[in-house]
Amino acid sequence: MSPPADINVRLSHKAGRHERKRNGCTKILCGVIVLIQFKNVSKVYSNGTAALKHINLNIGDGEFVFIVGSSGAGKSTFLKLITCEERPNEGEIIVGKQKLSDIRRSEVPYLRRTMGMVFQDFRLIHKMTVYENIAFAMHVVGASNKEIRKRVPYILGLVNLQDKAGCHPRELSGGEQQRVGLARALANKPKLIIADEPTGNVDPAMSFEIVDLFSEINKRGTTVLMVTHEHSLIKHFKKRVVEIQKGSVVSDKCTWEAGND
Amino acid sequence: MIKSFSYLFKEGLKNIWSNRTMSLASVCVLISCLLLTGAAVLFSVNINTAMKSIEGENSIKVYMKENLPVLESIKAGEEIKKLDNIASCEFVPKDEAIEQTMGMLGQEADKSLLAGMTGNDNPLPDAFKISVKDLSKYSQTAEQIKKIDGVSSINNYSDIAAKLTKLDKTVSTAGFWVVLLLAAVSLFIISNTVRVTMFSRRLEINIMKSVGATNWFVRVPFIVEGVVIGILSGLISSGILALMYGRMTKALTSITLFSTVDIGPLIGRITLIFVLAGMVFGALGGMISIGRYLKREGGDIVDW
Repeated sequence: MSPPADINVRLSHKAGRHERKRNGCTKILCGVIVLIQFKNVSKVYSNGTAALKHINLNIGDGEFVFIVGSSGAGKSTFLKLITCEERPNEGEIIVGKQKLSDIRRSEVPYLRRTMGMVFQDFRLIHKMTVYENIAFAMHVVGASNKEIRKRVPYILGLVNLQDKAGCHPRELSGGEQQRVGLARALANKPKLIIADEPTGNVDPAMSFEIVDLFSEINKRGTTVLMVTHEHSLIKHFKKRVVEIQKGSVVSDKCTWEAGND
Repeated sequence: MIKSFSYLFKEGLKNIWSNRTMSLASVCVLISCLLLTGAAVLFSVNINTAMKSIEGENSIKVYMKENLPVLESIKAGEEIKKLDNIASCEFVPKDEAIEQTMGMLGQEADKSLLAGMTGNDNPLPDAFKISVKDLSKYSQTAEQIKKIDGVSSINNYSDIAAKLTKLDKTVSTAGFWVVLLLAAVSLFIISNTVRVTMFSRRLEINIMKSVGATNWFVRVPFIVEGVVIGILSGLISSGILALMYGRMTKALTSITLFSTVDIGPLIGRITLIFVLAGMVFGALGGMISIGRYLKREGGDIVDW
């Protein structure tokens, strides 16, 4: 398991000011370095909906965590708080060494460069080829053409799509499209992959293949947070499962323990 | 940084092409705004030049009554010379006057129009060209001249100057409001054009933001789009203005005695100002429309 130096170095590049203040925020939990920390976090939307209530949760660097719960339970809000799309009303969130409550708007893009996002609806640009979709994500963070030419074929190899580089997303199956989505999320070497129901639009057989890929990437040291509804996946891949119901964490177990319930 | 910019610049140009109908609408509105501004400015420049030439000509024309015998006219001239404020007094017989008029029309004018106006058919009266010592006593001197027998009228330049000033002011004020209105309209159209681009590219913006694009990175293609629309409009409108002004002045000088300002030396400056104005408007339009959407996050961008 690789140390979290990567994420910290990249964040401190833009947030050196916070660096000194936050020294010591990273905790060691049962021998695992904590990557994401939720301390008594609550989120109430402006319409009065309490999406999350007093969440306390640690996610270790290199972990694979399934987030489960019924619709409207607060799973998406949980992910949005990590990506700074939403800010908590109460409590503290720490990602790497970065306290998200202190982060300025202008620093948010640099935080997101340490994360890769995978969406249920793939969110691929249809007028671009598979190659261009991945290259686009690298262009956005200012990668050079040389870097792009080197990295894109490598990632396409990781997701077994090297033969589809010139295809447009519409020519691919749902499973293949999601693999492109994953490849794009990996383009900028994130330490954390956040996937919001990545198998929601993929047929069941393909779902296993997709999660297999996530699992493979996780083995290489990338932390994976995956929201899912599919119990078959949870049972098959023996990972940590955090269940959120009505804005609270109601269970936090490993699959084999959950299976015994 | 430079690599990023060239990438973003290309993206901006692509936007213009993929939204060519709206881009064309923006260019057209901006052109009409710039053309009207240019026309108002050129009008003002011409009026000012005309006024200066009148002011610079410190002479007064005194017209004698029609068919007044020449001797009577000369007698009146002697009386004018006796007045205090007169520096010089030159007799301009009507035959000379009609020749001068024909000379002013130039070679292109239809001289046959005036051909039948010589000799006894000459409609012009005899006149005196007078220059005064002190221009401030102009009206006083004019009154004294009017009282002399045989004098029909004096051309009152101060009156013409006042009328021209009033016209210039009216045109400037009306022009200012029309241009202001058109500026607002063009800003609205440009920002809408950019917004259409943005709507069709909301997925890209969403992905850009999710992988960590800074707001400037998202903004630049839209600003490029606005600026290019502005530059195009600036160039086209200065071309149209030069062409139209050239044609109009040619037509004017051939039918009237009105002399116009040559646009040649001005056109470089006009083009520069037009292009700069277009760029500023374009960039502003781009910034206005993107500003609001940059505040949106994640799925909000895709779902709005």
